[in-house]
Amino acid sequence: MNIHLYLFLKLKSSMRARDLNKVELVKQKAMELLVKIGFEGFTMNKLAKECEISVATLYIYYKDKDDLILQIAKEEAERMSNIMLENFDPEVSFEIGLKQQWKNRAKCMLENKITSQFLEQLRTSTYQEEVYGTIVSNFKVTLGKFMHNAIKKGEINEMQLEVYWSIAFAPLYNLVRFHFDGRSIGGRPFVLTDKVLWDTFELVLKALKK
Amino acid sequence: MEPDFKDILLFKTNIQTAEDKSLIAKVMEKHNVKQWTIDQQDVDCVLRIVSPALKLEEVIHLVSKNGYQCEELI
Repeated sequence: MNIHLYLFLKLKSSMRARDLNKVELVKQKAMELLVKIGFEGFTMNKLAKECEISVATLYIYYKDKDDLILQIAKEEAERMSNIMLENFDPEVSFEIGLKQQWKNRAKCMLENKITSQFLEQLRTSTYQEEVYGTIVSNFKVTLGKFMHNAIKKGEINEMQLEVYWSIAFAPLYNLVRFHFDGRSIGGRPFVLTDKVLWDTFELVLKALKK
Repeated sequence: MEPDFKDILLFKTNIQTAEDKSLIAKVMEKHNVKQWTIDQQDVDCVLRIVSPALKLEEVIHLVSKNGYQCEELI
C-alpha cells in the first residue's frame, strides 16, 4: 500500500471511530435494502427510515446515492477479497490451492449472505466497473498467477481465464445460490452440505486436472 | 481527505435539472465555494457543501436570491 493511501485510511478510520456503530448499521441496512428493492427503487429517504436516523445524517457520510453505493461496495469487496485470499499461496500445487479457494469462498459467501447478494447484484449494474476495476486488483493478480502456475507446471491445460473460472468456481457459486434460495431447479428444496460441496469439488478437479 | 463533519452544510432544494445545476455552479464559483454537490436523484435535491467558513444562512440567502428554494436539511 502506498503511504498516501495508508494515511488516508488511517485518518478515515480515526475520524469515523466515534460513530462506527452507526456507520456499520447504515452499511448493513443499505445492503439489505438494495438486495430487497434493487438499485432503482433505493432512496436515501428509505434508508434513513430503515436506520431510524435523519436523512441529514446520511448526507454527512455520503454525497449522494451513488457515492453511498460505491463506498459500501468498495469496502465490502475489499473485505471479501481479503477473506478469499486467507491462507492462500499461489505457488502451491493446483489441487491444494483450488481446495483452499473453495474453502475460503464458501466460508466467505455463507457467512456474509447479504454482502454476497449485494455484490452479485452489483456485478450486473453500472457500478460494476468502478468497484471491480481498482479495489480487487491484488485479488485478480494472485488468482491469475495461480492459474498460470498450474499451466506452467503442466497440471492443467492452457485455457482462457473465463473458461477456467466457469469450471473452477461457477459450480460453487451456483450451489451457494441454490442454498440461499433454499431451493434448486424446479423448486426442489436444497441445503448445501459439506458432502455436496466436496463431492462437487472432486468433479471440478477431475474436469480441470490433466 | 475526508472533511470534518462540522464543516458539512446540508440543504433541501429544488435544484432539479442540469440547467439549474449549471446556474448554481456559476454562483458557487463566484463565491469561491469549491466543495459542493447536489444529489439530483433524490426528491429533496440535497445540496451538500463542505466549508469551514460559510454559514447556513449565507447559503440559504445565496441560493434563494437566485430563484431556488433552499432550507436546512434536518
